Amino acid sequence: MAQTTALWPLIIYFAAVLVVVGVMLGLPNLLGQRSRGKATVEPFESGIVPVGDTKIRFSVQFYLIAIFFVIFDLEAVYLFAWAVAFRESGWAGFIEIVVFIFVLIAALAYLWLIGALDWRTRRQRRVESKINN
Amino acid sequence: MTVGSPLNVFGILFSVITVSALLIWVERRLIGIWQDRLGPNRLGPLGLMQVAADMIKIFFKEDWTPPFADRPVFFIAPAIIMIATLTGFVVIPFAPGIGVVDFNFGLLYFLALSSLSVYSVVLAGYVSNNKYALLGSLRAAAQTISYEVFMGLSVMGVVMLAGSFNLREIVEAQRDVWFCLPQIAGLVTFTIAAIAEMHRAPFDLPEGEQELVAGFHMEYSGMKFGMFFVGEYLSVTLNAAMMVTLFFGGWLGPAFLPPLLWFMLKTSLVIIFFILVRSALPRPRYDQLMSFGWKVMLPVTLLNLLVTGAAVLSTQH
Amino acid sequence: MELFLFYLSAGICAVSTAMVITGVNALHSLLYLIVSLLAAAFIFYLLGAYFAALLEVIIYAGAIMVLFVFVVMMLNLGRQTIEQEKSWLNAKMWIGPSLLAALLLLELGYLFAQGQGTAIGQQVSAKQVGIALFGPYLLAVELASMLLLAGLVGAYHLGRPLERP
Repeated sequence: MAQTTALWPLIIYFAAVLVVVGVMLGLPNLLGQRSRGKATVEPFESGIVPVGDTKIRFSVQFYLIAIFFVIFDLEAVYLFAWAVAFRESGWAGFIEIVVFIFVLIAALAYLWLIGALDWRTRRQRRVESKINN
Repeated sequence: MTVGSPLNVFGILFSVITVSALLIWVERRLIGIWQDRLGPNRLGPLGLMQVAADMIKIFFKEDWTPPFADRPVFFIAPAIIMIATLTGFVVIPFAPGIGVVDFNFGLLYFLALSSLSVYSVVLAGYVSNNKYALLGSLRAAAQTISYEVFMGLSVMGVVMLAGSFNLREIVEAQRDVWFCLPQIAGLVTFTIAAIAEMHRAPFDLPEGEQELVAGFHMEYSGMKFGMFFVGEYLSVTLNAAMMVTLFFGGWLGPAFLPPLLWFMLKTSLVIIFFILVRSALPRPRYDQLMSFGWKVMLPVTLLNLLVTGAAVLSTQH
Repeated sequence: MELFLFYLSAGICAVSTAMVITGVNALHSLLYLIVSLLAAAFIFYLLGAYFAALLEVIIYAGAIMVLFVFVVMMLNLGRQTIEQEKSWLNAKMWIGPSLLAALLLLELGYLFAQGQGTAIGQQVSAKQVGIALFGPYLLAVELASMLLLAGLVGAYHLGRPLERP
């Protein structure tokens, strides 16, 4: 079981943090003034009257980046476990991690080559290839 | 003094909040100096009372919640960044006997909290129901998770040299040589990842004023805006303290200064470095930022791990 | 004290999971799911599995949930999904899974009553995990890396933006 003695300062600290955050969120509600203007209830868009709503569909690139993140984060966790125990696992473990990192880099290279990590817009790509030629 | 005594717990909480509030003034003054202008200099000696004045003002601002926003989540978002950064300080070893807990997984705890703080930005932008805020938070999310991948990996070289996730043991392992020398690649990558995680300039694209007005915290005003603002400075302090612990020997230093003062001195220098970076470097384009993270930093951190491992194993026998 | 903390976090976990299922707003449900995962991580911590607890936070709460939030943001449907969710949450939908889950719960209770479920946790350090992974389970780690590689390639080709000339 966990050492409860080590938990007490943590619990007190967390409680104090919650109190601080609670005061910061709650106090202005009592102190602040209230105002009502013609445009108070409209979203701020640099002084221009908002058109449409925020139901915008986004580029699938954002979703892909989240998937890549999850997978690379999982692989990073294996590296965390290796980093703390690599002295004990010795050269055998080192060879294993070389293979592991090689697979990781192969995945990265594959993504790179098929252009999954290219965030330029089509226009930017066109302009840049024109400059390079 | 022992780790975790009540004096420690409340002293640390009070001082990190004070330091972060003061940083607002420090940053404005320093950037003023570097950009050849004055900065806030009227209130009190050197303008130092500006912080107090701002704080009083912000507490008396209207506590406005947009009617088109998702009210409960709108309140939670700024609280997440404050809680995540403030609780990050519990594992920082300020000096022998000063700290909240001596936790065996201090470094992993820090990484876990920094992976949670992304929610603050994402939720803030999404529930605001504002187009600019939504774009800002999507940018922030993609940027943060891209740089988070190698943030953890960049500090694993330090873990390998110290053989532990315990931050106190990591500091003790630096008695002979600070890890900033053998782990220079780790230091550089961690610094870049930390700046990107805090979304400070030059990586402040989520709030890029010219294109997104204010980004994810656009609809926030009053104290809730202040919490994002203070949260940024809290994470600057936290990341600076983490860098000092991992790469610059923590509280270690020649004996003419007490350990706590060494720690504070080094942390302030790192914070000033962060401010200098902000005032000196321009913002990259968004696609450059993303491909830099994936195509340059990630391979570099992986190679750094392999080289460190090979070097340590071959000198072991 | 430990027992109190255990029941507290287990209670938070159960309540927030219930809120995930009954909630109609996708984003609120996700937030409850994150809370539930954090509570589960705390239970791991109390059992002495510190490494597992932190990995739960880093991987589940910090990475996979971010992906879910992303999907909610990208689909970005708002009110109309709330109506849809409300219509889906009728007795016909939830009674079957709940009965099956209740059966599992009974089984679990039976096991505990037999005294077989009292695995008193012992502390597992990260070092032990690392030594086990990069010693006897060497091949499993490599297989995991292959699996993740396949996942990466598959995910890209499923979500690839359409080529336009």
